[in-house]
Amino acid sequence: MKEKLRSLWQKLFGDSVRAFGVVSFIFLVSLAVAPAKNYFSEWRHYQHGYLRMIRNRSDANTLQRHFRGGIQQIWLPELDVVDRCTSCHVGLKEATLADVAVQPFRTHPVIPHKLDQFGCTICHRGQGAATTVAEAHNSTLAWEQPILPARYIESSCGECHRGPLPGTPVLNQGRNLLSRYGCVHCHTVKLPDGSTMKATDDPPSLSHIADKTTREWIFAWLKDPQAYASTATMPNFKLTDDDTRDISAFLIANSAPLPGDTIALSTKASSDATAGPSLYGESFCASCHAVQNAAGNLVGGDVGPELTRVGNKVKPEWLQAWLRNPRTYDPPTGMPHYRFNDAQIATLSPFLLAKTDSDLLANVHLDAATPEQIAHGKRLVSDYGCASCHEIAGIKKPEAFAPELSHIGSKPITQLIFLPGMPHTLPDYIAGKIKQPRAFSPGLKMPQYSFTPAQIDALTTALLSLNDRSNTLPPSLAVAAIPESDYEPAGKAGKLMSDLACFSCHRINGHGGDMAPDLTWEGSSVQREWLVRFLKNPGTLRPSLIRRMPRFNLTDSEANELTDYIMTVYQSPAVDRDSMPLSGYSPGQVELGKQLFYGKYACQGCHIVNGNHDKGYIGPTLTQVGSRLTAAWIYQWMKDPQALRPGTTEPNRAMSDEDARVLTAFLMMQKSGAKQEVAKK
Amino acid sequence: MAKTIDQYFDDLRDTRVWRSIFRSGTGSSTLKRALAIQQNVFLHLFSTKVRTRMLSLSATWYLGTLTLGTFVILVATGIPLMFYYHPSVPQAYADTKDLQFVVSSGLFLRNLHRWSAHAMVFLVFAHMFKVFYRGAYRAPREFNWVIGVILLLITLLLSYTGYLLPWDQLAYWAITVGSNIASAVPLIGDKIHFLLLGGNAVNANALLRFYVLHCMILPLAAMFFVAVHFWRIRKDGGLYSHASEPATLRAQTAGDSAAAAKEAQ
Repeated sequence: MKEKLRSLWQKLFGDSVRAFGVVSFIFLVSLAVAPAKNYFSEWRHYQHGYLRMIRNRSDANTLQRHFRGGIQQIWLPELDVVDRCTSCHVGLKEATLADVAVQPFRTHPVIPHKLDQFGCTICHRGQGAATTVAEAHNSTLAWEQPILPARYIESSCGECHRGPLPGTPVLNQGRNLLSRYGCVHCHTVKLPDGSTMKATDDPPSLSHIADKTTREWIFAWLKDPQAYASTATMPNFKLTDDDTRDISAFLIANSAPLPGDTIALSTKASSDATAGPSLYGESFCASCHAVQNAAGNLVGGDVGPELTRVGNKVKPEWLQAWLRNPRTYDPPTGMPHYRFNDAQIATLSPFLLAKTDSDLLANVHLDAATPEQIAHGKRLVSDYGCASCHEIAGIKKPEAFAPELSHIGSKPITQLIFLPGMPHTLPDYIAGKIKQPRAFSPGLKMPQYSFTPAQIDALTTALLSLNDRSNTLPPSLAVAAIPESDYEPAGKAGKLMSDLACFSCHRINGHGGDMAPDLTWEGSSVQREWLVRFLKNPGTLRPSLIRRMPRFNLTDSEANELTDYIMTVYQSPAVDRDSMPLSGYSPGQVELGKQLFYGKYACQGCHIVNGNHDKGYIGPTLTQVGSRLTAAWIYQWMKDPQALRPGTTEPNRAMSDEDARVLTAFLMMQKSGAKQEVAKK
Repeated sequence: MAKTIDQYFDDLRDTRVWRSIFRSGTGSSTLKRALAIQQNVFLHLFSTKVRTRMLSLSATWYLGTLTLGTFVILVATGIPLMFYYHPSVPQAYADTKDLQFVVSSGLFLRNLHRWSAHAMVFLVFAHMFKVFYRGAYRAPREFNWVIGVILLLITLLLSYTGYLLPWDQLAYWAITVGSNIASAVPLIGDKIHFLLLGGNAVNANALLRFYVLHCMILPLAAMFFVAVHFWRIRKDGGLYSHASEPATLRAQTAGDSAAAAKEAQ
């Protein structure tokens, strides 16, 4: 063996000429590795695969014609994009390749953008310049952003689109959660347009808390807010029993009574057991408040707090004062001032107070608080940043209590501390922080939320959209959100409107909720008499919706005041209310309109004019539309509904002036009085 | 009888063109061969005569020659790299990415440059250790040792300036740390720091400065001192060998004469 090796050595390196030759040959071979590696590259392999795949397809000729060999790239200098993804993802733009199972050849799903205008990495992240799979998709030492998992993809929409989009439900939900769960009370989020994200959860002031509730309830609530109400947005601070005892002691001791926020009623509750539930129903409390039914399902809206166990929480005197006028205790509350009389309050409050859970406070026994406990409680309240959300007398709202999140979506991985076993990516880190904030370090103060996995994904998506690109985008690409205006109506009517909390449900001039119709142009749209009547005793307009407008027990003067204001101020410049008469149309016109209604335009598909045979229930019922709407509004609405109410489902039928006029004539004849006359006959 | 390859070469050397280029003419006499070295602008830096044993591996381990070899590789690969590189922010990083992903054999080019640079630093040190432990820095070669130290510094500076050019995080922070070390110099530290970076922080100016240093000034300086280095080898008596040093020879002669004297006694 040794001999063989020696003779081989002699053969190869025996003399200098041989050695030179052999070494030169080895050198040449090793040099040839470079061009070989260059030729047998991954992208060439995939392009060959693509050509093999399309060969047997029926559309082979078209695909072959579209095919361009070599490295492909999408170059967008203004976006700093050099994406070579299309070198391997060859069929991205071929609509016919939707059925292909093998990646990277499938076509891109239909999106509102052109690939050539935005490239790939703008949305998907990853390393666009790379031409190898590993480098392009996965994070390496030389690239910060690996490809974004598909479930967070909507975060990229949010980089440019600052407002909600119909196509991005996850992102919209995430942004709402950030506001609704009060994340932005502690974490500052500066939006790219320079504004700061605002919370919408409206946490109550704790300065007068002793008037409202007991120390025992505060204790139970602090220990586990979701045990009181599963929908509570208050997170769990995982407090020890002693800390909870001290915080509740401090809050009660710190509370000052507020004049008028507790009352003792002289009126006795009615003996009728159904009076309470029916007043609760008539007042449409469930439009905003939810209650858990026997099956454990929540019934009702999520605007106000859940009332399942409200009897454990509130003191009767406080509840009565609150029902009489919530603005005494909490002036900016979204709860309307219902103008209940004492009898109604006496009926409603026992009904609400009966909503209790005997387990909730059963095991809470607190001794009288000592001054040390109160002092300790005060320190805890400062330490946990309670005042970031709640107003607490004597404690200042802390500035920048938690890290700012305005650029969280671009946070370098090197600055993150991961939990053991956690994938080292930014989305996993953010989701992990939301899921188990305290797991990352024992000293952290961020409380435990009880989000579902879908909510965590949504929040992560919204946070990932807050990144460097969204903050440095060319202004031409940014799609601004429609800003929430701070519109407030003026004068006496304005006061009345905020007292009735109209804006909790209605939107006017870009301000307010979206539960009920936008009233910005209500003055052009409706007739005065109808509006007065409606405010005094509201009814529903749409058969497909449950009526939700409550009756506010308005006095005649209040109803007139409000109507005058609406009729005068909320007018559309496009509609002159008085340009067309409310009645007096010729029978010929009306008949022609009727034919168009049932024939050419088939309006009965969505609307009901004659309850006997029309079946449409998508749009509002029109049986009394002639008493409700102005003729000018109907006419303009026919011509272009979207111009009057953007986003309405009513289609634009491109009617001629004449068609619109006769249809208006027909509809204006549908009056409430007319129907009654028929009934009388 | 067919001509041998050597005869073809002799014919070539006799042509008019050859003679017009190489003044020394043909012939294998010692004079002609010495002239061939002496009258060539490149070769005249080297000794006209070298002992055969100095060409064996054990004499020098070829460390100086290998260092020159890596330097040649670095120049040869550096020039094509310059074709693809813009010393601007942030294009520099994009260019290194392009070299990695798009340029044909660009990654090979870059890696060859990088590994040769590492090898050169290693070889320079090895060369100096060899010279030091063999005592080759002693008279009359002291000045060539000094030139060697200058070449060491140039090599390190080439390595350091080249480190910034990929413009990645590693580069950025390495140069940030390195330049902050410079600012630790008493009194003028901040000035040096500013001069080095062309500003107070590593940015576009620093990149441009380092690029010019790396591709122009330092290579030219290195070539200049390498030329001096080689010239001094010749002038200082050729490659160092312990056995052929005057002192050794003297001692040997002295030893021999002492022995002779002893014998005579």
